[in-house]
Amino acid sequence: MANYLSISDILVTNEKVPCKFLHDLPKMGFLDPSAADDDLKAGTNVEIPLWLAESLYTRRPPLVGVDLPKIYKETYREILNADACTVDMHKLGQHFYELGCYIAKHDIKGEVATTLVNTFRQRFRMILSASVSTDSISSFQPLSASERDRTAAAVITEAALSGWLKRGDCPITTANMVANHRKRKRAEMEML
Amino acid sequence: MDPYEIEFIGENRIVSIIPNFSYDKIFLISGEFGPFRAGLPMNVPLWLAVMLKQKQKCRLVPPDWMDMDVLENIKEEEKLSRFFTKMPNEHYMVEAKLILGAASEDIPRAAEIKTIIKDIWDIRMSKLRTSMDALMKSGGSYGRLDHLTMMEINSVKPLLPQAMDELHRMKMMTRKSTPATLNTSTFSQSGSSQNI
Repeated sequence: MANYLSISDILVTNEKVPCKFLHDLPKMGFLDPSAADDDLKAGTNVEIPLWLAESLYTRRPPLVGVDLPKIYKETYREILNADACTVDMHKLGQHFYELGCYIAKHDIKGEVATTLVNTFRQRFRMILSASVSTDSISSFQPLSASERDRTAAAVITEAALSGWLKRGDCPITTANMVANHRKRKRAEMEML
Repeated sequence: MDPYEIEFIGENRIVSIIPNFSYDKIFLISGEFGPFRAGLPMNVPLWLAVMLKQKQKCRLVPPDWMDMDVLENIKEEEKLSRFFTKMPNEHYMVEAKLILGAASEDIPRAAEIKTIIKDIWDIRMSKLRTSMDALMKSGGSYGRLDHLTMMEINSVKPLLPQAMDELHRMKMMTRKSTPATLNTSTFSQSGSSQNI
């Protein structure tokens, strides 16, 4: 999953997390947009991207302490544990699950992990119903990015199945692979 | 997989027909069939039977399980049992669709058979969906889905394995609390390359 070149991984680790700096950092004042002077004092709270936070966290001694972002804190965890299906995940955090996996390592109590898993399980039902619904736009709306991908795949399968059930005979069409192959050949020939 | 691909696989099943022409043995890639004698029943693959029927060269004999009583029994069993019952045939949906599509006049009470097979299909699909949901809610790691035909398995194909994969990944990633990852230099360039 954590592939260096994976686009979704890059997007996920670009999310900002609130951190507290544990040491004084000279000349790093530009990281905090509200700081006045050049140096960054210990104890300032800054929002920095996850990739930066992780690399600063893993040095010995750790330069930052990572806090949980808002959506993984107590209040939202309560809401998610109560009923995960009513939450608009797209608004809360598009990469909720992936970011949660990274964040869960910094969580002392370990409750983020259980919340993540529970939310995922409960929302599976939403994905199921979204895949067979006809109004795709409104049913896709509250899903996170990865949930949307899965639902799109399920929608395609459902459509293919119901199409097969309705039609009597199988219309013979060119396979996608073959059609693209021909187009590429034609393009190559035109270029020469 | 496309439903058409499963239909293709299902078309290879043997059914019995009564040709109305006479011909010698034919040698196909999948085997030899023949000789064709008008009026005598013989076994051929389903695709060949449908093709001959469309050219009006044969009459299809309904398979054993395509009988009202047998199907009624199956439907009752399916309704009562919590799990999936054994279907008469791995590809009952494919066979039913093709035979009833091409040769409905050869099958007695074809319309009723159509309805009852559709009922069985609907029962199994809804059972499948509820059991998928129960599977995710309970643990998401192990589920029992025996006696499912290929077409039904195909309908959950991209969704269920991907979802279980994601769940497994989340459990794995959050379980490994990396306490002291010293300078093992897996984080050379960016902190996101925490390869698990």
